[in-house]
Amino acid sequence: MISEYNISRRGSSTSLFGNVDRTALGIYIAIVIIGVLSITSASFDAETTNIFSFSHNYMKQIVWVGISSVMAAVVLLLDRRLFHMFAYPAYILGILLLLGALAFGREVNGAKAWFELGSIRVQPVEFVKIATALMMARIMSDYSFNIRRFTDLVKVALVIIIPFGIIVLQNDTGSGLVLGAFLFVMYREGLSKYIYFPVIFTIVLFIAALVLQPVIIFLVLLILFTLYSILKTQELEGHMRFLFGVILAWLLLSTLTPLSGYVSLMIVCGVAVLILTFLAVKTRTMMLLWPILMFVYAMLFVPTTDLLFSHLEPHQKNRIHTFLGLVDDPRNVGYNVNQSKIAIGSGGMWGKGFMEGTQIKYDYVPEKHTDFIFCIVGEEWGFFGAFIVVSLYIALILRLMRMGERIKEPFGRVYCYSVAAILLVHVLVNVGMTIGLMPVMGIPLPLMSYGGSSLVAFTLLIMIAIRLDASTSDGDIYI
Amino acid sequence: MVDQGYVRFRILRIIVIAVAVVILIRLFSMQIISDEYDEKATRNIVRVETEYPMRGEVLDRRGEYLVKSRVCYDVVVVYRELPKSGFDTLRLATILDITPERLQRQLKKASQSPRAATLVVGYLSQDSKLLLDEGGFKGFHTRFRTAREYPRKIGGNLLGYVSEVTENQVNKWEYYEMGDYIGTNGVESAYEAELRGEKGVSYRIYDSHGAVKGSYNDGLDDILPVKGAQLTSTIDARLQEFAEELMVGKIGAVVAIEPSTGEILVMVSSPSYNPDLMVGRQRNNNYASMLHDMRQPQFNRAVKSKYPPGSTFKLVQGLIGLQEGVLRPNTKYPCNMGFAYGSRKMACHAHSSPLDLRDAVAHSCNAYFCYVFRDMITNSKYGSVKEGVRVWNEYVNSFGFGRQLGTDFYGEGKGYVPTPEFYDKGYNQRWNWGTVISCAIGQGEMGCTPLQMANLAAIVANRGYYYIPHIIKHIEGRDSIDRKFYERHYTLVDSIHFVPIVEGMWRGVNVAGTSGKARLEGYDVCGKTGTAENPNGKDHSTFLSFAPKNNPKIAISVYVEHGGFGASIALPIASLIEELYLTDTIKRPHLIEEVKNFTPDYSRNYDAKQRKYDEKRKKAAQKK
Repeated sequence: MISEYNISRRGSSTSLFGNVDRTALGIYIAIVIIGVLSITSASFDAETTNIFSFSHNYMKQIVWVGISSVMAAVVLLLDRRLFHMFAYPAYILGILLLLGALAFGREVNGAKAWFELGSIRVQPVEFVKIATALMMARIMSDYSFNIRRFTDLVKVALVIIIPFGIIVLQNDTGSGLVLGAFLFVMYREGLSKYIYFPVIFTIVLFIAALVLQPVIIFLVLLILFTLYSILKTQELEGHMRFLFGVILAWLLLSTLTPLSGYVSLMIVCGVAVLILTFLAVKTRTMMLLWPILMFVYAMLFVPTTDLLFSHLEPHQKNRIHTFLGLVDDPRNVGYNVNQSKIAIGSGGMWGKGFMEGTQIKYDYVPEKHTDFIFCIVGEEWGFFGAFIVVSLYIALILRLMRMGERIKEPFGRVYCYSVAAILLVHVLVNVGMTIGLMPVMGIPLPLMSYGGSSLVAFTLLIMIAIRLDASTSDGDIYI
Repeated sequence: MVDQGYVRFRILRIIVIAVAVVILIRLFSMQIISDEYDEKATRNIVRVETEYPMRGEVLDRRGEYLVKSRVCYDVVVVYRELPKSGFDTLRLATILDITPERLQRQLKKASQSPRAATLVVGYLSQDSKLLLDEGGFKGFHTRFRTAREYPRKIGGNLLGYVSEVTENQVNKWEYYEMGDYIGTNGVESAYEAELRGEKGVSYRIYDSHGAVKGSYNDGLDDILPVKGAQLTSTIDARLQEFAEELMVGKIGAVVAIEPSTGEILVMVSSPSYNPDLMVGRQRNNNYASMLHDMRQPQFNRAVKSKYPPGSTFKLVQGLIGLQEGVLRPNTKYPCNMGFAYGSRKMACHAHSSPLDLRDAVAHSCNAYFCYVFRDMITNSKYGSVKEGVRVWNEYVNSFGFGRQLGTDFYGEGKGYVPTPEFYDKGYNQRWNWGTVISCAIGQGEMGCTPLQMANLAAIVANRGYYYIPHIIKHIEGRDSIDRKFYERHYTLVDSIHFVPIVEGMWRGVNVAGTSGKARLEGYDVCGKTGTAENPNGKDHSTFLSFAPKNNPKIAISVYVEHGGFGASIALPIASLIEELYLTDTIKRPHLIEEVKNFTPDYSRNYDAKQRKYDEKRKKAAQKK
């Protein structure tokens, strides 16, 4: 294989720590420090007197930083082959922990996804991300693995869907969606891009089904697909005749019969689809079959979505509604996002200064030290600080991808890409949530949000990637 | 061959960077471009708070406090600050002077918003506040407020009270907000603008739980409240208290004026009430019970009621006759127990006959003034009786009747003086002098307020002019009150004509007549009794007087509903007030006893009405 590129480390050293990617490690340390500073700011208000008390969140977080450092050192000292070996047991253990939390766990904010060990609360899903990443790397690096083979694709899909299913049952859909990050990895590993069309189509349809009237969705689809067909066949008149025929039939049916506009459109479309399929098969214009198939899919999907949505939990429905702008609700669901946007928006260019954010200091931003910690950066350090933090994350993600490319064998590459993808989804969803770009999903900002288990898990996640990368030049290979 | 993996790496890299760009563009537009969030953030934390000024106080004419502003406190509790181990609720309830049950109820209410300051009880005195502070009850705080206090407990209707503004008032005047207090009735209302002072403003920082965290911008934008002005009233507190005491059990009014200035010395509307009832925790209960009292203690009879003036009006009648030339002081008219006209007769009482003007005043002869009135309105120079009545009406008007005097007092009534148009309408154009003859002696359609009657006393005392009666003589921070109160208002009758009338009033007291009991040795009291017939029961008793005859110091009008003859109750009350004011002592304690023991019979009117009303309320309550 000839590469047009050459990503390799600058120097090589026999010492393990010398091979550690200093850029990645540096960014990691920078983000952790910014996180501790932000939590410090969140821990204080005008009444706080004893700044070194261990009851403060930031003191606890510093302890967790210490623990994480030890963990990081341990990971960096471990033999890389261990990760390969531990993939299966780790994955199985992860699934068991998820099930355990579902059965015996503690409910926090409506999600039964926590274990309580004394005063420490642990969310197993944090560690399941590592286990799933290792498992994905293990399976996809198998010598005989080919993602374009159907059975292999099913294997990979199962690895993701099993934990996803349990997490959804825990009522922690937000964390579950993070596993969607593996689509990113699978793309890199050669998954057909045509797989992504239905995925994107489904997402668009889902949002459209919630926001628009079904009749409008189908009319738009009808026009779009007719246009597509016109472009493909270079034939205009017949298509237009067909399109107007369908619309005329629909208008006649809906006005002359007691059927509603929706039902009559579905009937007309159903008949049209049958005729088209017949014509397509007869004339052997097989490329027409794709749009027909997608249209049929839409006809099944939109009514089902409406039905499913009506069965969602009220808080989830509210969140989605608020996000889509269907209800304006600054008091309840919208409150957090509204206050968070005010905090970040009022930061200006340089921010209000450390511990000077009024939204933070006077407790207007809820969950300011956990899910909404980005508000502290945005309010107290302004666009300047937010820019730096976002840049640090993006730099870390790009660095991890680079490291993945650098590792010449698939296990390390898949793993590094997995970490990059998980970080990307977390940053996009979490930061996006604080600035109103994403619906509210309770997932933390990696390495910054307060919480020991989250910090330790992300440290392990990233350190394993660094460890795998560090040994590329060692020349050792897997058994 | 291009490495497929590398192509996808580049595509993914573009996606990652695209995500970053989208987030950063959004951040840029929120933080740098838009101002919306800055304003919202400020609005979040800063709350504008009103700082209330102390309300101005009111002094009497000698500098004694009529109305004091007392510092008091609202007690509030912040539930989450309460000690977890509990506290001595019994002791606290004792300090706050509420029942332990009520305290528990308030605490329960506070537990619903644990971080906010919830009102426990208002009107805590300064002493109790010290006890509360001493007790160190954690979680309980006090808020500064002011309440009214009345050292003499007099002048309920006169002074008015302070109450919460209504929604209408808030809509009408920009100054007020819901929850503010405003003067209602009496002086409090008339001088609201002076008494209320100026509200201040403070900008405070609040956290999301509603707790104060300090002042915004170091308090540089704050405005301090300005204390309300202190008013000096024309009222003589001692005299007012004495008059109220004398009026206990009687329904009516007393108004006394210093003729040389128009200053109101006494203004009693009876039944009166203790103004303290309108302050404090029992205020609502007290107000309701007054509302259900058919004697209407909250109705200021001194300035609002329309009483027939009765014989006191003969003074005006005589003066008009003299001015119009239909009468000379020496003109004599016969009286044979009344004045016969047509088939009817206006009755009079026994006295010698015939009388001249002076004696007619002194003996209050009905017939005499009927002749005067008849001769006047039927005089050919007017052309018709109708025109005659019009001229008469103008004269009466110039004495301050049938219109507002323009005092500084809240809710002044007009009274009523009939016009020719009124009779045209009422009698369908068919009326003559006989129809309206009862006006001659202050009966019939005439209605005046006790204030107007007192003003008449002052006009006679001044021999022809008055100063608009007023109740405030000095406002702190100002050189003078409204200039209209320094102007003389002349009647249409020349000063010279007052001489025989005053002479008659003097004789009625000091020589022979209806007012003999009002005599005060050495003070030349002048007086005129009135006995006003009315359809509701026994005659009203009224007395109009001033003293001394030369250089008068006090002009007074007393009106007692259903009190009988003018001399029987209105006269002794007026006389006692004059005695106290002129001599500083009371040498006739027996007269006080007499007044106090005199209780008019209200069983036919007020009491019957009260019984009916109570029964109706009882039935309504039972239905519920």
